[in-house]
Amino acid sequence: MFPNKTLLEARQLVVNYKNHRAIDGLDLSVPAGCVYALLGGNGAGKTSTINTFLGFNRPTGGNVFIDGESPDQNPTVVRAKLAYLPENVALYEYMSGLENLSFFCTLANIRISRQHAHDLLMNTGLQTDAHDRRVSTYSKGMRQKVGLAIASAKQAKVMLLDEPTSGLDPSAANDFARRIRAAADLGMAVLMATHDLFNAKQVADRIGIMKAGRLVEEFDAHTVAHDELEHKYLAHARGLL
Amino acid sequence: MLRDGRLLVLAFSVFAVLIGFFLASVAEHQQMQLEKQTVGATAKEQWDTQGVKNPHAAAHFGIYVFKPDSPLASVEPGLRQYTGQTLWLEPHKRNGARFSPAADQGLAGRFGQASAGFVLYALLPLLVIALAFNAVTQERELGTLRMLHSLGVSATRLLLGKFIGLLLAFMVVLLPAMAVAIIILYQNFDLAGDDILRLSALSGTFFMYYAVFAALAMSTSIHFKSSRLALFTLVAFWTSSVLIAPRLGAAAAEMMVPIPSATAFWAGIKKDIQQGLDNDGDHQAREALFKNQMLKQYGVAQVEDLPVGYAALKRSFNDSYSERVHALHFDRLSDAFERQSRFIHIASLLGPSIAMRSVSMTLSGMDLAHQRHFEDAAEKYRHYFIGLTDDWDRERSHGTERGALGHDSDWGGVKAFSYTPPSVSFALHHAPADLLVLLAWLVAALIWLLFSAKRLKP
Ligand SMILES: Nc1ncnc2c1ncn2[C@@H]1O[C@H](COP(=O)(O)OP(=O)(O)OP(=O)(O)O)[C@@H](O)[C@H]1O
Ligand SMILES: [Mg+2]
Repeated sequence: MFPNKTLLEARQLVVNYKNHRAIDGLDLSVPAGCVYALLGGNGAGKTSTINTFLGFNRPTGGNVFIDGESPDQNPTVVRAKLAYLPENVALYEYMSGLENLSFFCTLANIRISRQHAHDLLMNTGLQTDAHDRRVSTYSKGMRQKVGLAIASAKQAKVMLLDEPTSGLDPSAANDFARRIRAAADLGMAVLMATHDLFNAKQVADRIGIMKAGRLVEEFDAHTVAHDELEHKYLAHARGLL
Repeated sequence: MLRDGRLLVLAFSVFAVLIGFFLASVAEHQQMQLEKQTVGATAKEQWDTQGVKNPHAAAHFGIYVFKPDSPLASVEPGLRQYTGQTLWLEPHKRNGARFSPAADQGLAGRFGQASAGFVLYALLPLLVIALAFNAVTQERELGTLRMLHSLGVSATRLLLGKFIGLLLAFMVVLLPAMAVAIIILYQNFDLAGDDILRLSALSGTFFMYYAVFAALAMSTSIHFKSSRLALFTLVAFWTSSVLIAPRLGAAAAEMMVPIPSATAFWAGIKKDIQQGLDNDGDHQAREALFKNQMLKQYGVAQVEDLPVGYAALKRSFNDSYSERVHALHFDRLSDAFERQSRFIHIASLLGPSIAMRSVSMTLSGMDLAHQRHFEDAAEKYRHYFIGLTDDWDRERSHGTERGALGHDSDWGGVKAFSYTPPSVSFALHHAPADLLVLLAWLVAALIWLLFSAKRLKP
């Protein structure tokens, strides 16, 4: 359906924090329309990878590209192409969800009407009566939805998700997964760090397992069996492989 | 930030504190003005109705004059406490406006009194800091900074927006108090055009001053990881600018430019009068020379034959010499005070507060320059009326006979002291160094802010 153009790419990426090597020669690529789930234990380097794509970290070695551009050289162009959703979406607590959406959009130079803002929130499944309530009264899932609305207002080509479903109840996580899938089906490239194997299998096209800053195993999510995935994941975590 | 109930509470407390201090100052100012007017009127009336007496004896009755304060003095009383308000004008001797050269109050004391001005220059910067210290650190702590960053929001734009928003919020806090203050001023004083100009200039410089603190607070907020550290650093800066710098500057200035004690000051004048300046010869020699001159001028052999009173002639001669000596010493003293206040500015490196305080005293007409302007005018007036009494004494007597008399018609003919305070341009002319220091701080703070914005890390 899509000319599977590579939108996210890491080539021989190395990231050091002072003397500590967090990413150690990572090769990764995510084409348009693909959801890539990044698995791996704590400290495997998932967040570091995402932060490097965001330009929060600088590569110590190798390169990262977003739609062919390097975040280091063209930060503005790159940031215009991507949307970011952390585990805890940070919002202004004393503003409503709607106001947060409008505020972030205004700052990012994105023009949206009030109606459009309502529509965007609705599309993420946020109840209408919550739109004008202060965010301080929101649950984690509701904040996630506002974050998603901000990301979709941006009409980004690439989405970076860092443990987006952790702390969400199963039905909320499922709902979230469906929306991500829908976004990818419209041509977005999605990179998602997660600990949720079930969720990964459900939403992703490709699954990668990271360990000590490297990609140690990759699967086609549609063909790998859940049992096999779980087995491999645990084996890597226990250092058996 | 506006939603933050904080702002409302702050606005209200600032309003209350400022208006409180201001009302107290206005009341004090009016009370003083009234006292000055009544005392002044009574004194002049007593002078006018001295009855028949020797003109020089009348001169010794003396005249009180008062420095009329600008309405702005109720915002910034400046040196009022230290210089006093009345000047006693009498023959032979120039008085300071209770401006004892060995002011018991050190220079430092001049900086720490509670007034509306103190709130404006010392407390409000704290408010600016309170509003700004976590402008960036809080966003970093909450994670919204990362959100903004990932959205491609330009750091410079974000920070300039925050900076302007901060200044606006601050104005929202300040405006009600300012509006009420201006209404109070209008109701209580006849504001002249010059007062309005001074008030505008004062508001402008205060705005610059707050902008310095706002920009510094924002930049600090960028550089520190935690709000607490940023706050700590900013309060330290505030302390150094408002509390430490003036004292340090004063100590340095007092060391660099010593001011004579009152005793030494008057003794110096007495000695110069007695021994004479340069090669003028001592008191006796000068008098002898003068006597010969007069005898020659009037073509008589002895003072008894002079057609005018010799006592008055000699007095005028001695007084004019004494005036010369006084002028020399008073100018020297004023210059020393001026040099001292210049030295204080060295400490402006620690913060802009010294310069701000100095500008506000100058614009309110309550600084050394305005005091000197007034005292010089009063001294001129002293020459005028003492000169008149000497004229009457000389013309109405002759030789060594001393029967000259004056009447109420004479005393009443002495014009009252009328003093027009200098205009705002005089004030600005005396504040370029302060304004320059403020401007330098503002430019430096803004450059640092822009520079910090470029280095902003989420
Ligand atoms: N700011 C930092 N400074 C120093 N070391 C860091 C920093 N951030 C991460 N690290 C280290 O880099 C390594 C990779 O961390 P990273 O956060 O990328 O892992 P992760 O896969 O996201 O883990 P988790 O599942 O716990 O989120 C870890 O060893 C971590 O201790
Ligand atoms: Mg992580």
